[in-house]
Amino acid sequence: MKTAADMVTHSRLALSGDILQMLYRLLAVVLLCATLAMLSDVFLTTNNLLNVLRQTALLFLMASGLTLVILTAGLDLSVGANIALSACLAASVIKTTGSPLLGMATGIGCGAMVGLANGILVTALRIPSFIATYGMMWMLTGVTYYYMAGETIHGFPPGFRQLGSGYLLGVPTPVYVMVLFLLIGALFAQRTIWGQQIYAIGANPVAARLSGVPVERRLALVYAVSGAMAGLASLIILARINSAQGDIGEELTLPAIAAVLVGGTSLFGGSGTVAGTLIGALFLTILLNGMNLLQIHSSWQPLVTGCIILLAVWIDNRTRRIGE
Amino acid sequence: MNGSTCGWRVTVVPLFELRGISKEFPGVKALDDVSFEIRAGEVHMLVGENGAGKSTLMKILCGAYRADRGSFFHRGEPVTINDSTAARTFGIAVIFQDFTLVPYLDIAQNIFLGCEFSGRLPGLIDQRRIHTEAKRVLDMVGFNIDPRTLVHGLGVAQQQMVEIAKALSQDASILVMDEPTAALSDRETERLFAMIARLKKNGVAIIYISHRLSEVFALGDRITVLRDGRKIASLLPAETTPDHLVTLMVGRPVDTTYTRLSRPTPGEVVLQVKNLSGPSGFADINLTVRAGEIVGLSGLVGSGRTEVARAIFGVDRVTAGEIRLFGERIGGSAEDSARRGMALIPENRKTQGLALTRSVGDNIVLAGLRKLFPLGFFIPRRAMKAARAIIEKLRIATPTPRRPVATLSGGNQQKVVIGKWLNADARFYIFDEPTRGIDVGAKAEIFRLLDGLVHSGAAILMISSEQIEIVHICDRAYVMRSGRIAGELTHHELTEANIVRLGIDQ
Amino acid sequence: MSTGRLTFASVSIARVPGVAVVLAVLCVGFGATSPGFATFANIANILTQSTILLLLALPMTVIIMTEGLDLSMGAVLTFASIVLAITVVTTGSPMLGFLAALAVGFCFGLGNGMLIAVLDIPPFITTLGTLGIAQGLSLLVTDGQSVVGIPRSVESIYSGTAVGIPMPVIIGALAYGVTHTLLYHTRFGTYVFALGGNREALRVAGISVRAMLIRVYVFGGLMAGFAALLMTARLNSAHPTAGIGMEFDAIAAVAVGGTSFERGNGWLFGTLLGVIAVGVLRNGLNLLAVPSSAQVACIGALVIIALFIDGLRTER
Repeated sequence: MKTAADMVTHSRLALSGDILQMLYRLLAVVLLCATLAMLSDVFLTTNNLLNVLRQTALLFLMASGLTLVILTAGLDLSVGANIALSACLAASVIKTTGSPLLGMATGIGCGAMVGLANGILVTALRIPSFIATYGMMWMLTGVTYYYMAGETIHGFPPGFRQLGSGYLLGVPTPVYVMVLFLLIGALFAQRTIWGQQIYAIGANPVAARLSGVPVERRLALVYAVSGAMAGLASLIILARINSAQGDIGEELTLPAIAAVLVGGTSLFGGSGTVAGTLIGALFLTILLNGMNLLQIHSSWQPLVTGCIILLAVWIDNRTRRIGE
Repeated sequence: MNGSTCGWRVTVVPLFELRGISKEFPGVKALDDVSFEIRAGEVHMLVGENGAGKSTLMKILCGAYRADRGSFFHRGEPVTINDSTAARTFGIAVIFQDFTLVPYLDIAQNIFLGCEFSGRLPGLIDQRRIHTEAKRVLDMVGFNIDPRTLVHGLGVAQQQMVEIAKALSQDASILVMDEPTAALSDRETERLFAMIARLKKNGVAIIYISHRLSEVFALGDRITVLRDGRKIASLLPAETTPDHLVTLMVGRPVDTTYTRLSRPTPGEVVLQVKNLSGPSGFADINLTVRAGEIVGLSGLVGSGRTEVARAIFGVDRVTAGEIRLFGERIGGSAEDSARRGMALIPENRKTQGLALTRSVGDNIVLAGLRKLFPLGFFIPRRAMKAARAIIEKLRIATPTPRRPVATLSGGNQQKVVIGKWLNADARFYIFDEPTRGIDVGAKAEIFRLLDGLVHSGAAILMISSEQIEIVHICDRAYVMRSGRIAGELTHHELTEANIVRLGIDQ
Repeated sequence: MSTGRLTFASVSIARVPGVAVVLAVLCVGFGATSPGFATFANIANILTQSTILLLLALPMTVIIMTEGLDLSMGAVLTFASIVLAITVVTTGSPMLGFLAALAVGFCFGLGNGMLIAVLDIPPFITTLGTLGIAQGLSLLVTDGQSVVGIPRSVESIYSGTAVGIPMPVIIGALAYGVTHTLLYHTRFGTYVFALGGNREALRVAGISVRAMLIRVYVFGGLMAGFAALLMTARLNSAHPTAGIGMEFDAIAAVAVGGTSFERGNGWLFGTLLGVIAVGVLRNGLNLLAVPSSAQVACIGALVIIALFIDGLRTER
């Protein structure tokens, strides 16, 4: 029987290093669960666990597109604001046309357009991604607030609400969406040539360009995908809380970034996986859930998330040094 | 005392001496019992292959590294160098290849960076004094320029002179120069040599690292050869010849010139460039390359060769003219060029040619992904198989395609870059300085590769700054000067003299 | 004075068109469309209200010159003002409150600097994290409520005048003078150029890059603490959402002013013009009754335009 050490030294096995990394992270999640189970009676209840799954699905959907962006050594700070705008527009459309499908198309379409705009800022205008998406975040927030003028839209058709708050075979619907996009995302990243090109861009954009990779087109693609996933996530939120207002999704930007980083994707580009992001989303959701159960004031959450991000980056730095 | 004859100046005790220096890094013995004498007013040449230990020795001298064993002597007195401050007190200064100048500060501020003069009020600095002192130092070096000029606008040669002025402002009596002429034109090199002569007269000792044997003999008063971390010999230029030096450097008699056994007859026209001009620095370029040919593109550094190469490949913009590959008009996109069978092996393989953190296999298949997987799905097993085929064919020294390409040696890394394009079925290759930074021994292998490529029907455009290479490897050559083609040399006209003649400013 | 003149001269040809044109266009545009714009009182108003932004934009210029960024400034400003207000209300001493605010700024600046310099975490991630921390602290301490009961002496710092000039303008001029001297006449300033232009040069010269980076972010934190005094005086209270987003205006001002993000070059006077431009934009939009949420979008557009122009300039 092969031990983990065998797996690492046996060079024949593909991705053995990656698999090991993921196992470590899963271990961290299990430890976290064990700790919370000890600290709180409520944690291991079916209700809570299903809630955690539902929330994880949402966070993962947001973070999956973001993973692609970070793989190219970029960043998308506008995902939260993107969710807000997409959700509000989708909500309006559902209310005015009565058609959930049209609303969904609007939501995802808006998200994708915003993503594309980010992509253009980064590729055509050569603005560093963190600045461009930071500026975009403010613009989107402004536009959304202006559009909503402080009001709330609520009351969506029950069929639509199933998407966010319903169950299928006892499992929350968003989980199915999550699994679907986990497969799509992992397939795209590891088993398509576009995915390989994206990894190459992250590892060395100059060499990628000189190898015939259409760098600008791929970058525009990843930002558009990140935006579209934000749009999808906005629909799930809408379906779950059954209302839309100017500031929804705002609190999700930091956790999404944290999920990607905790999942093993490096800020500096070129390494990371979509599956890892799922583990990261799981970890973060469980942590925040635990904080809620332990009745820690919600103001602590951005603080803790910020610290986790810093920690993840620091660890990433250290491992890079050792690798060199 | 030591028995060797001193240079043209009679000194009993050397200005500075290193004795028995040894240094080990994990797994590698960088220096093994090396002794080195530095005499005032003398140019001491340090030669050796890449990895011989030259830069490690110099880093120990200037305090950046600490020797594991060995001793230092300043004018015969034993001293220690533990860090760069200590080295500076002995007047040791290094002129780096990557300049340590701040672009948006002016020359004077750069010269006195870290040693600014204090002004009247506490905390303030005396800018006026910085500028007058700077002027004094610049005059000493013979560099006539306003010290208020921002470094940002200076050319490479000028920046180098600022670096030298900076070293002198700290009363350097020992100057270490690492390949100082690598990026200079002939005229700028002359100015540098004049400056070195001036410094010699003032008693400054110069340690000069160079791969250019012509310089070693033109400028050197003494030559030390390192090989595999050991000092092989220390001799006067009169006691040796270039071939002898190379033998000492490599440890075995080596044919420094690679001769091609047979040259295929040129076939169809593969590349045709007409009246090409672009904003990156070239105009009215006309050239042709046929299948089976290796065509050289020569010229001084800065004459625009790399810019032309990038424009042909489609990376840089073109404002006029046309490029035809296999008779079809192309242009504007590297992706398109790659798909049509064009390859570019860039000047700097580490920063431009490879994704160092990715595996050898991933790097090899990158350019040919579309060809290998026409449906768009990537199958790792098939990719590795293709990579292994290339590794075998090019004899790349790596145990498995999964190793990060950063672990390979320079020559093997270059083979990976070439392999990337071989895998993509390229038929036209542009090589930009294919043997830069590659050991003499590995160079022959690279040339053999090029030979093999053209024998199988490919066409090659080769940019090189080594005239010898162009003369021996290429079938014919174009020479560029100041962004234009100064002339074309047929096979019979291809001599070093002709290349130089066409390439220099008249 | 020579470097100051040099920087001014060598930059003026390329830069004056950018930010001055933007400013001129804005002024002419608003002057034409709003009758209340071009009055002395309004312009004085713009200048006064821009001071807080100036206090943030000045150190932000320095930070951006080192190829860094401080996204936490607004949140630190807010938290510092809350600490100041609470201290003043409980101890009755404005001076203690001021010192407390400076202490808060210092601590956050130090924290930022250490994370960036010692732990090697990229500035935008670091300051994003400290932004969250500062915001969290503000909410925790105030529980979402304003802090009121500030004595008049504090309020007069904002509303008072000296020699007929509003106090804030004097403070702003002072801050500008100090930063200018710091940047162009001290070692600190010289090394700031090196931090952005070529860090290796500092290492070779034996100067600690880490120490310099920490100093730069501490400078930012201290100025944020200083600005907290003005902001508390102006609002006559402290609220956990008061300064949120001001770092965005500050970054916008610096970007519009011509300091680029990637080259170790900066133009302090440009930042001053940029601050005024942002102030004019906000003021003009207010007069046109554009809600503040949409104003943010406009400033965002302004930044994008400024960066675009900056990008064009580099291409050339």
